[in-house]
Amino acid sequence: MNGVINFLELAIPGMVAFVLAAQGTMLGGRAGVFNVSQEGLMALGASVGFLVSYKLGGTFGTNMIGLAVAAAAAAAMGLILAYTTTILRLDQFVVGLALFFAGIGLASLLYRVVIGIVPQPPQIDTLDTIPIPLLSEIPLLGPTLFDQDIVVYFMFLLSGLLYWVLYRTNLGMKMRSVGENPRAADAAGISVTKVRFWATALGAALMGMGGAYLPMHFSGIYTDGIIAGRGWLAIALAFVGGWRPQYVLLGAAFFACMEITALELQSSTVIPVEFIETFPYVAALVVMAFIFRRTQVPAFLGRNYDRESRTAS
Amino acid sequence: MTVREVASPTRPVTPPQTPETSVGKRPAWLETLGRWGAQAVPVVAAVAAALLVSALMIAAMGHDVVTAFDSLLTASFDTQFGFVATLHRWVPLTLFALAFTIPLIAGRYNIGSEGQMLVGAAAAAGVGISGSGLPAPVLLPLVLLAGILAGLVWAGIAAWLLDQFGVNEILSTVLLNFVSFGVVLYTAQHLWPDPVGGFPMTDHVAPAAQLPMLGSSPQFHSGVLLVLAVSILVILAIRYTVIGYELRSVGANPRAALIHGVSVRSVAIGALVVGGALAGLAGSIEVAGVQGRLLEGMQSNYLQLGIIIGLIARGSVVAVPLVAFGISVLEIGASAMQRSAEVPVQMVLIVEALILIFILIADILADRITRRRAARAAVVQKLKESSA
Amino acid sequence: MTTKTQAVGPSSDGPLLQMSNVVKRFGTVVALNGVDFSVDRGEVHGLLGGNGAGKTTLMNCLYGLYRPDSGSIVFEGKPLTIRAPRDAIRYGIGMVHQNFLQVDTYTVTENIVLGTQVSSFPRFDLRAARKKVMDLAERYGLNVDPDKRVADLPVGVRQRVEILKALYRDARLLILDEPTTNLTPQEVDALFDSLRAIVDAGTSIILITHKIRESMTVCDRLTVMRDGQRVETLVRRETTPRELANLMVGDQAVIERVAVAVGETEPESDTVEDKAPKEPSTTKSADAESASDDEASAATTDVEAAEEAGVEEKPADAEPASADETAADTDAEAQQDAPAGPIRLRVEGIDVPGDQGAVAVHGCDLTVVSGQVLGIAGVAGNGQVELAEALAGVRRPSAGRLSVNGVDLTGRPVRDWLAAGVTYVPEDRHRDGILTTATIADNLLLGSQRTSRFSRRGVVRWRAVRRTASELITRYSVRASGHSAVAGTLSGGNIQRVILARAFSREPDVLILHNPTRGLDIGSTQFVYDRIREVTASGAAVVLISEDLDELLYLADHIVVLYNGRVVGRVPRQQADRFQLGRLMAGAEAEGREDDRP
Repeated sequence: MNGVINFLELAIPGMVAFVLAAQGTMLGGRAGVFNVSQEGLMALGASVGFLVSYKLGGTFGTNMIGLAVAAAAAAAMGLILAYTTTILRLDQFVVGLALFFAGIGLASLLYRVVIGIVPQPPQIDTLDTIPIPLLSEIPLLGPTLFDQDIVVYFMFLLSGLLYWVLYRTNLGMKMRSVGENPRAADAAGISVTKVRFWATALGAALMGMGGAYLPMHFSGIYTDGIIAGRGWLAIALAFVGGWRPQYVLLGAAFFACMEITALELQSSTVIPVEFIETFPYVAALVVMAFIFRRTQVPAFLGRNYDRESRTAS
Repeated sequence: MTVREVASPTRPVTPPQTPETSVGKRPAWLETLGRWGAQAVPVVAAVAAALLVSALMIAAMGHDVVTAFDSLLTASFDTQFGFVATLHRWVPLTLFALAFTIPLIAGRYNIGSEGQMLVGAAAAAGVGISGSGLPAPVLLPLVLLAGILAGLVWAGIAAWLLDQFGVNEILSTVLLNFVSFGVVLYTAQHLWPDPVGGFPMTDHVAPAAQLPMLGSSPQFHSGVLLVLAVSILVILAIRYTVIGYELRSVGANPRAALIHGVSVRSVAIGALVVGGALAGLAGSIEVAGVQGRLLEGMQSNYLQLGIIIGLIARGSVVAVPLVAFGISVLEIGASAMQRSAEVPVQMVLIVEALILIFILIADILADRITRRRAARAAVVQKLKESSA
Repeated sequence: MTTKTQAVGPSSDGPLLQMSNVVKRFGTVVALNGVDFSVDRGEVHGLLGGNGAGKTTLMNCLYGLYRPDSGSIVFEGKPLTIRAPRDAIRYGIGMVHQNFLQVDTYTVTENIVLGTQVSSFPRFDLRAARKKVMDLAERYGLNVDPDKRVADLPVGVRQRVEILKALYRDARLLILDEPTTNLTPQEVDALFDSLRAIVDAGTSIILITHKIRESMTVCDRLTVMRDGQRVETLVRRETTPRELANLMVGDQAVIERVAVAVGETEPESDTVEDKAPKEPSTTKSADAESASDDEASAATTDVEAAEEAGVEEKPADAEPASADETAADTDAEAQQDAPAGPIRLRVEGIDVPGDQGAVAVHGCDLTVVSGQVLGIAGVAGNGQVELAEALAGVRRPSAGRLSVNGVDLTGRPVRDWLAAGVTYVPEDRHRDGILTTATIADNLLLGSQRTSRFSRRGVVRWRAVRRTASELITRYSVRASGHSAVAGTLSGGNIQRVILARAFSREPDVLILHNPTRGLDIGSTQFVYDRIREVTASGAAVVLISEDLDELLYLADHIVVLYNGRVVGRVPRQQADRFQLGRLMAGAEAEGREDDRP
């Protein structure tokens, strides 16, 4: 029992970066913009969030500011994606890849510019858990769900909110129509460009936040390569979750469990430790092989909309 | 036009159009040159714009722009060592860029050249170490072949997932990169570990497994010539063979290609697998020509650079080696820039990303300008017709 | 006859809509060349013209989907700037597009309210909207189930959803783009009744159509467009189908010339009178209609008289004729049993799946012999695309067999079909026919890249390819700067010429043509007909799938009618009767037997 609790206590914060980045991917994707710059935007978020917090004192409060600035920085990159794809109609993958590089480069550059080369990497406070009164006393559920840090709570609230907005509001109905059939949405008087701008920017902000969470949760230290493929896994997660917020959350739990299992199994002698570390990636590949043909994908995912195009649609 | 003419079965009804004579009169080579020139203008403008923005960033960080740019752009040509270093960088970058570009021509994205190279390097190192008794003419080709095959298989996994299960190849290739890290560590720590190495690396490969060095102080490895030959081969294959033609047709319109007898599935699989083979070759050349062993992190940031080169070259295999050389110059210049002007090396990735973004934008602008011109010409034509 | 001077309709404060001097260009194509257009209050205004005349483009400019390069719009007396559909909607303009703009995964109600204000708090509530939809549906006779997913609805119902969408937003001007395409005769009647009710309630309607008879049935006034320009605006009561046909096509001389060209030298009948009834159910003089239709449609491939004939005919009229049809049917089969030459293509009981997996063609048997043209008639969307792809080896049938020159090719890769001499000209040239970013030479090579003529040991013989390309460009009058011109920069007609040049130059044994002359001018159309005659003369078998009945009657030796994925009739050309074919195409026969419309 204690083992399970310990495992879940670790796994649930492990979900955060996945969930935020994957919900961000989902958000843009439901409006038809397929962002593939997660890895770069998360790195940028991690670097910016860390640096802002570190420069302001490295406490809980400054961490919150760091998260916000990281989200803003990533959102700015998201706006570049939105502008180049909706207005200039550049290929979404190509711009996404360019932003992936730019994000990785900027993250690394900013850290070098602000911190320089130092013998000991600077550290910020990691996020403390905030037990919720009463709820955290519930056996099993209490310590796993209600004794976590603030971003974990945010993750759950956000997923619920996204579900509500997408499926229970007029706004969500409009947004989904843009990803399903932008021409129909346009003809119904919805501004495809506006919806795509908002969805892409907000989605990118979530990715930046997801990246920023990593140094604040794990070690308090930023290093290049801290994202370690989580951005790409987030894309896989969006597919696995069928581009629906509720299933994305479930899928993230699976991914996080894989990650924690990999950590837990490191002491095992049967499987070489080197291969245990690849568990999450192999698992993602295997899962995708099973679900990819079955999963539902927004019909216009990754395709730009040109109102005056006479052949498309 | 009389009734009889319309009904005549032998003659095309519409009068044959005279082609635009103004262009037709010029000699072909001049026309080609003019076309290249027209294509070069937006590229040059984009590079200039990217350098300008980078200069502003460098200045904003408080560094000396002139010193920085001097190092960045000339380090490759100032010394022979610099030039050889540039060539040695050009080798993997060209192969990585081709590994990205060949699938791109068929409309597929290979983001897994890093993993393909690493398993290629691991296989090459394995063969190079365990085949130490063999003579060089046998062992060296085996080493190179091992890398190629390993890269091919690694990309083949993604191709198989795409073909059988429809898994998006961007995701599968990129996730396989992370799996390949496990392969590298296992090879370097369990199979042929170098016990005195500070971090994960294998033993040295046998001398017979190493690429012959050419030239004199400093020497460069013969992989440079090998890659030159491979580049030419790829260019010829894409331009002149039936398979190259089918590859291009699938990229241009997969449905039309399918309807006209091209096996779109095998072209997609083939393109990914060939890309993987080239990345695997990059791995074996790094082992046999540069490092002499497999070591963790030997992939550097070649993946990103290869993709940047591929995207800047916009699917042209002719442009790939040239762009790769330009990027190699920047990469070698970057550390010189850090030494002379204290601009962090990471700046160069920003410069490269900016070049890419500006080239994409220049493309769009050039396209719009030509379309606007054509539209104007069409209106003039219409007016002439209606007044006649 | 022109109503410009007497434009003032029932209401006294000027026209409802006045568009002036509208110009719209697409790249090199001038789609609208200074169009003036006005609509009165409370009228159904027909916008008539052939393909590419600019009807839809003009209306897309009005609805904000296209932005005109110049021109002005005055609606209800106020000058408007319409930048996007939402502006048009706000001003009270609604449009029903030919390809319905609906979100497949949404319900009827969701599609109708999409883009309007719905309260989301405290609860996302579509009940009021649903009620309003049902009220509107009842008032105008537009029956729909508000809770069904639109993807599950048949075409006719989806169209009602589109009309309701506009009415839901209180449109005072409703634009309908070719609304009767793919509707059954009953559905057309019901639609026209609904339109009348909508106009009576005060909304004006613009009806985009290329069908003369249809426009004579329901429109109060008509504007004819041709070649991006308005030709004339007429009052329905004061015009005749013949006059409209002349205006659509151009001068009388052209019509006669083409009538001669296609061998339809029917004597001109001056007995044509305007018998177009106000109510669609009134019967009409078939002879008069036939004469006028013949000329109109013979003159331009755009006027689908065939379709009209099918659509207009009432099932009640169909009954007495059915005996004839069965007779014709057996005759045709008898004739096919004794073929004139060797059998090129034999199709035995194939079922062909559609894109969604459901069977699109059921149990189709066909035989095409050397030197003959087999015509396949039918209203678009009745399985033609799937059948064409199956005949070309592109789409695998789920049952049955196909053989070419006696060799069974069922399930073999397309490459084998090409090697066996099968060539396919697909209907959707942009999607299926052309490599837009490649050169003309590249495009002409497509499909022949593995023949010994153009490659040796895996290497393309580019010199031969380029030489052939230059020859074909001249021979097929492709308007381009040379073989290295990029195909995507060509106009639609020129792209089709490249595709046809590619197909005919392969000297095929079996040629599958799907709407090969759509969008081509008269001269080019005749050129294509000549090429078809040429290949059949040299022993090829041709399958011509066309929505243009005149084309089929002119070229085909036998005509097969496809309805709802089934062959519902086979007629040798000598016995073919336009009206009988029309009835078959409308499913009159099939519907009597079994109702298996989705």
